[in-house]
Amino acid sequence: MSEGIRVAAVDDIPEGEGIVIERSITGTDDDVALLRDDDGSVWALDNTCTHADASLAEGWVEGGHVECPLHSSKFCLKTGAVDGLPATRDARPHRVEVRDGQVFLYPGERP
Amino acid sequence: MTRRVAVVGGGVGGVSVIAGLRAGGFDGDVVLIDEGEFPYDRPPLSKAYLAGDADLKSIALQPPEWFDDQRVRLMSHSSVGALRPGLGVVELSDGSAIRADKVVLATGGHAIRPPIPGADSTRVHTLRSAQDADRLRAALVPGGRLLIVGAGLIGAEVASTAMHLGCHVTIVDPVAAPLAAIVGDEVASWLHGMHTAHGAMVLRGVVESFQDSPDGITAVLAGSEPRVFDAVVLAVGMAPATPLARDAGLTVDGGIVVDSMQVTSNPAILAVGDVARTCAGGLLLRRSEHWEAAQHDAQRAAATILGGPQPAAGASWFWTDRYGTHVEVVGNLTGADEFASRGCPGEQPYACFGLRDGRVTGAVAVGDSASVRAARRLIDRGITVSAAELGDRSVDLRRLIRR
Repeated sequence: MSEGIRVAAVDDIPEGEGIVIERSITGTDDDVALLRDDDGSVWALDNTCTHADASLAEGWVEGGHVECPLHSSKFCLKTGAVDGLPATRDARPHRVEVRDGQVFLYPGERP
Repeated sequence: MTRRVAVVGGGVGGVSVIAGLRAGGFDGDVVLIDEGEFPYDRPPLSKAYLAGDADLKSIALQPPEWFDDQRVRLMSHSSVGALRPGLGVVELSDGSAIRADKVVLATGGHAIRPPIPGADSTRVHTLRSAQDADRLRAALVPGGRLLIVGAGLIGAEVASTAMHLGCHVTIVDPVAAPLAAIVGDEVASWLHGMHTAHGAMVLRGVVESFQDSPDGITAVLAGSEPRVFDAVVLAVGMAPATPLARDAGLTVDGGIVVDSMQVTSNPAILAVGDVARTCAGGLLLRRSEHWEAAQHDAQRAAATILGGPQPAAGASWFWTDRYGTHVEVVGNLTGADEFASRGCPGEQPYACFGLRDGRVTGAVAVGDSASVRAARRLIDRGITVSAAELGDRSVDLRRLIRR
């Protein structure tokens, strides 16, 4: 269990949108998308869509899912489970914690 | 009670019927009869697959284990010879028979070959299947002279891919701005102008004939000098594959006619995707030849077989890519009487919304994914908005949706 990496302030991420945390910071194979649902909660998935070269951080975040900006495959924010073609593989989720308005990322840990 | 469903055709429509059936709890047998090696996704055939950047395995519609997980009997390299609805049987071309309570036809279509003299030359291609793409790719060598007949979605995507591969591309269409009926004159001119901007030659006109010559194929265009090419692609649309349905006595009229629940004139047979044409309220609708439309058909067909509630109808949507630019269209711009541009045509990101009676009817977006996703929700939820708000980049579209 790692300490967690402080990667952003919650207010850096508008509700319904996402930001990219580069792999040089996270130490992961892919960049990480920090995604803020329309209820204000913050989630993290590998940033690259499992179908094509698209950034999930640029996707549409709503109702517990992020919709890929290219071909509209939807991924569950909590589990990364794919719901809808053309993607068929789940996205990799990462655990995040919000403390005092700061987002801490635990790369590779399941939420 | 439905105990066995046979799905004919492994495109996105056929595979999505099965996904919908299993997701809805269908516990019976499912047989998928497909002509190919395995079901694959077609949109990449004019893009990454044609470019050689993706192989067939990487564009599989589902991974191989999915068919076992979902308990699907996948019959690859198989085709149906005849439907025998009276017997509850599907007859395969090899003479074997499969018993089925319900049959879903997802046979798609084939590329139209217009009756141009000489169009049967081996240098003349169409693009519909992976084999078509393999054969075409072999002709797309650097410096190769390619003529594309038809500058719609497929023609434009092939032009973009061929330019990327280093071909000399000429694209001919009788229309000054193809797609104008769908995206409006301004955006259509911008998109069509991308061919010239990227070095392709754009001609307006029609091809009268082709003739094989020692160094290629000569195309005669009306009112212009004959031109020689190494290869030609005919991209002038598709025709639905209806012979099976016709032979089985189903109603066919520019597609297999289905009701709003995807049921054909025979209650045991359904049809989805490019091959199906909906008749609603006595009115035959245009066939929707798009990837997502096939999935919506499939969800309705699955609901019909399951006897459950039909999914809510939503705005249509499609995308296309050319020269690295991602274009999306949602809903319908033709019914609009007011338009709002978000950005300037010619510069990305750009979106144009169509409105009628204060509600969004459709939108086209060029390099602007968020606007088209917002438009889709504005349409589906019937939210009242003004053109001024939509056209103002400082207005957050998400806020309009929440109000």
